[in-house]
Amino acid sequence: MADAAITATVPAARAAPAARGVLVPRLITGLALLLIWEVAVRLLAPAYVAKPTTVLMVAPHVLTDPVFLRATGNTLAAVAEGLAVALVFGTVIGLLMGRSAALEKAIRHYVNGFYAMPMIVVLPLFSLWFGYSASTRIATIIFAAIFSIIVNVADGARSVPREFLEVARSFRSSRLRMMLNIVLPSSMPYLLAGFRLAAGRALIGAVVAEFFISVGGLGYYILYNSRSYHHNEAFVGVLLLAAFGVSFEVLVQAATRRFLPWYRRDEKAD
Amino acid sequence: MQTSIRRYVPFWLSLAVGIALWEVAGRSTSAAFMVPFSATLVRLWELIVAGEFLGQLAESAKLFFTGFVLALVVGIPLGMLLARVRALRIGIEPYLMLIYATPLVALIPFILSMMGFGFAPKVLVVFLFAVFPVLYNTVEGARSIKPEMIEVAHSFRSGEWALWREVMLPYTLPYTMTGVRQAIGRALVGMVAAEFFLSSTGLGQLIMGASQNFDTGGVFASIFVIGLIGVGLMRVGLMIERHFARWRQ
Repeated sequence: MADAAITATVPAARAAPAARGVLVPRLITGLALLLIWEVAVRLLAPAYVAKPTTVLMVAPHVLTDPVFLRATGNTLAAVAEGLAVALVFGTVIGLLMGRSAALEKAIRHYVNGFYAMPMIVVLPLFSLWFGYSASTRIATIIFAAIFSIIVNVADGARSVPREFLEVARSFRSSRLRMMLNIVLPSSMPYLLAGFRLAAGRALIGAVVAEFFISVGGLGYYILYNSRSYHHNEAFVGVLLLAAFGVSFEVLVQAATRRFLPWYRRDEKAD
Repeated sequence: MQTSIRRYVPFWLSLAVGIALWEVAGRSTSAAFMVPFSATLVRLWELIVAGEFLGQLAESAKLFFTGFVLALVVGIPLGMLLARVRALRIGIEPYLMLIYATPLVALIPFILSMMGFGFAPKVLVVFLFAVFPVLYNTVEGARSIKPEMIEVAHSFRSGEWALWREVMLPYTLPYTMTGVRQAIGRALVGMVAAEFFLSSTGLGQLIMGASQNFDTGGVFASIFVIGLIGVGLMRVGLMIERHFARWRQ
């Protein structure tokens, strides 16, 4: 307990002055970047091109526009649904793959192959299969997300300390209970790392699918508005997507720190 | 020799089973839904013989390499500059992370309406997809250098060149190469996205065209080839990364 208190306070004490020293240069850089953008667009680009002041001006209107809110809700619901499916199936497949050498040998090359494939190439095929409908979007999201979860969970399941399983076995615990009570919790950090990648890929999948099949959502909102030269409105959509991307990142990092403080690892990146 | 053959038995076995499953699935469903492996290869051969395929492949390769090389030429020096100039790095870090986490595909419609249908906008898309992993990881590597190491180097009166050779490069380069590996994968996605949504050329056009003509065989053949290219490029990326990260292990 005392040890924990010491290790927890030392970095905090060091971080406090550092954070203050960092904030000012960051704000200045941010303002400088916005200024460069504003001036460059004013001098070089046509009037319809998005720039910070005009984006800021249309933002309140866009963010309260029911069309925009409905589009955002559509995309987020699809991403959540696809991610949930990918998470459940990806975790199950990953756990089995990590713990069974035979299954691992049988499907490893396929999982890695699909993972390495640029996910958006399947769009034309999915649009043939599922038509120009929201099912194509869901299928694309699942396809984009599931392989990074499988790969990471399998890594985690493989690296469960041997002793844990030996103890469980000598207490005659069943295979299912070993999976649920030992392998799964022990693979949690890998699962979260995989989920973080999957969330980013799911977001890309959703936007690309909406571009491709013109189904209503944030991606389609951006496409539609930029086609009709409403770049400022469309850019609010991009900012919102960026906010989702960052918040996934922040959420997973916070969850790892909060629930899995015992774990540190370089995640497998895409 | 004997052992290496035995080691690859599971690989060939799983490949054979996969192809058999694909073949059976293709034969037992309608041809509009799925095409068996054999028919996919036949269609691929037809496309190659017709001369269309290799031209499109070359078109895609040109786009990929132009954008990717541009990303390296800009990303690596800029990343190193950020790595060395601490104030600049601290200022720009959060914005790099922000862009890194943003789905950049969302920018394609803007690029389309500002730059039109030429080759340049497509290169820009590939470049944007590829450059941020390089920058982000290089900066990450720079963060891993302890300030004390640079101080020690300075107190031994090491010049700028020696500092780069002994401290900066060995520490940041492995991270940069992780970025390069990620950039390869992303550039490929960028390439396909650009070919889908900007002027339609290359392998992207091949898939789109086949899908619009309900030529399922053509769709499967093109996806199959892009999948193989993806796997091959991923291999290359891993090799590059391992080569530069050797000293870390």
